[in-house]
Amino acid sequence: MKSTKYSEKVLDHFRNPRNVGSLEGDDVAVGKVGNPTCGDIMEVYLRIDGEKIIDAKFRTFGCGSAIATTSMTTEMVVGMTLDEAMEVSRGDVADELDGLPPIKMHCSNLAADALHEAITSYRKGRGEIVQEVVKLAAPEPGCVVGQDEYLDKGVWLAVDDPPAFKDLRTLIIHSGDESVLAALELTEFTDRVILLTPEKSVVTTPEIQEQLVYSSVKVLTESRLLEIRGEFEVEKVLIFNIDEDEEYELFVDAVVIID
Amino acid sequence: MKQVYLDYQSAKPVDPRVIEGMTKYFHEAFGNPSALHQVGDTATDALDESRKTIAKFINADEDEIIFTSGATEAINLGIIGYALKNKKKGNHIIMSEIEHISIHNIFKHLERLGFEISKVPVGQYGKVNLRKLERRITEQTILITVGMASNEIGTIQPINEIGKLAAEKGITFHTDAVAAQGLHPIDVRKDNINLMALSSNDFYGPRGVGVLYMQKKYRVNPLIIGGGQERGLRSGSEDIPGIVGMKLAVDIMKKEMNIEVKRFTGYRDRLIKQVLDEVPDSYLNGHPTDRLASNAHFRFDGIEGESILLSFKDLGISVSTGSACTSKTLEPSHTLIATGLLHEEAHGSLQLTTGRFNTDNDIERALEVVPQVVSRLRDLSPIYKKK
Repeated sequence: MKSTKYSEKVLDHFRNPRNVGSLEGDDVAVGKVGNPTCGDIMEVYLRIDGEKIIDAKFRTFGCGSAIATTSMTTEMVVGMTLDEAMEVSRGDVADELDGLPPIKMHCSNLAADALHEAITSYRKGRGEIVQEVVKLAAPEPGCVVGQDEYLDKGVWLAVDDPPAFKDLRTLIIHSGDESVLAALELTEFTDRVILLTPEKSVVTTPEIQEQLVYSSVKVLTESRLLEIRGEFEVEKVLIFNIDEDEEYELFVDAVVIID
Repeated sequence: MKQVYLDYQSAKPVDPRVIEGMTKYFHEAFGNPSALHQVGDTATDALDESRKTIAKFINADEDEIIFTSGATEAINLGIIGYALKNKKKGNHIIMSEIEHISIHNIFKHLERLGFEISKVPVGQYGKVNLRKLERRITEQTILITVGMASNEIGTIQPINEIGKLAAEKGITFHTDAVAAQGLHPIDVRKDNINLMALSSNDFYGPRGVGVLYMQKKYRVNPLIIGGGQERGLRSGSEDIPGIVGMKLAVDIMKKEMNIEVKRFTGYRDRLIKQVLDEVPDSYLNGHPTDRLASNAHFRFDGIEGESILLSFKDLGISVSTGSACTSKTLEPSHTLIATGLLHEEAHGSLQLTTGRFNTDNDIERALEVVPQVVSRLRDLSPIYKKK
């Protein structure tokens, strides 16, 4: 079966999604699943009155079935109690939509997970469930494999000669304002500048922040450089996404590490 | 609803003039070229004539043309056939990171057979880096394969320089010309090409026919053994109507290519300029200038390609995407990743490829729809942040 061979009901929810948006307030539960790497992010918002869900909204980045399943889930759960909503499974959502192509059953049928997460975190917030302490498995910073090996072979410790970066895909490790300014400067010489920071956002002055937002610099947050790879020179880097606990390769030509 | 087709890279309709010319070879001139009677001779003449026409179009000789069942078979014969025939000379082969997926899979197969494969990276616009290519050459290298242009992002490779380098080093050079054929002049002599794959459909001929160009003195092992057709390199009774179809398609291409390419260039430049101007946070994938006349390839922040494709489908427009959600493996396009994009960026891509039967109205329609679709999907997206 084609991965895009959807039922009429899926297509209807894709074309006319119900309950798009978000909710705010103390009585709102929020659940978020997926990540941009795999191509799906779903956010579910529930307004709760006592034990009952009285309103639901969603936002989704993803394929047709990702959008349709979140839309359907928000439609299904309004009026349910929290316990009833916890019983709603991925399969129930797919059934309500008259089925999904087999290949989509796992990758983009996460709306029920977002629903469960919303309820669970809401209950945790109210002290109904004891919060477990999650230990982050993020690797220690400051140990980039290959940094010395590729020095002068694509690894730079300063940006003294910006024209030398012409058309190079350049990864800059965020280390204070100097690195951000270097990233901004390099956008004059190459279309691809990536600024990498382990934080949730680049911490800098408001002026620099504004320049950054309007620049072509691609900011990668909650990410760490693990390893530099390539035959003879820098060709790829291995990046660790702290939030997702995931590693992936990225093709680059230059890595700038300003101490 | 009027349907608009903007996916010529994935399949082309057969030109009605080609179909008309092919018809008699199904019933009147249906012979087997191996037969020695009159009916067989008519088929032989058609086969010879087709071979001559196609050879001339790429500046080759007629005995350098081997007919196959399509470009995939031509590539299999050109790469696997060559590797097996020449494995005593060495076991190392170099390919680019952005070859067509069929070539990536062929190399996985060759690795299992004991060959060593190096992949040469491309720059941010998809061009093979010649310095990196040269540094990967070893004593064991027997073959370099780099496609003439990318079937996805349309970047045209420095084929002449690669051919020259391969010739200097005494290494055989194979190129998959399928994405470029009919859009870009092909001259196997000038560019030092030793092996090359072509498809009939990409000239607007019938599917199921292809050609391996193999320069004189180069040898491959046949992959299909049988009655010894095509000098024993590709057995099986020749598909005369199909081969004649490819020849007729080349006849038309010869006359019309230059004008047609100008027309497509106009479409492409208009698409690129207007989409980048009108859609915020949109980007061009592939090379800004060295790209196929037919290819406009974009990416949009915060949205996903299958949703774009489905939205276009609802509006009667056929397009393509490099998103994982539409691929068999659920991996995003290896080509986009090789240009240095993150997965999330590759997911939000849109490929528009124009062709012979497009009109100004089709381009108009696409340009009308793109901003609407992108804006609707961004309204649903939790990750799109307006600047």
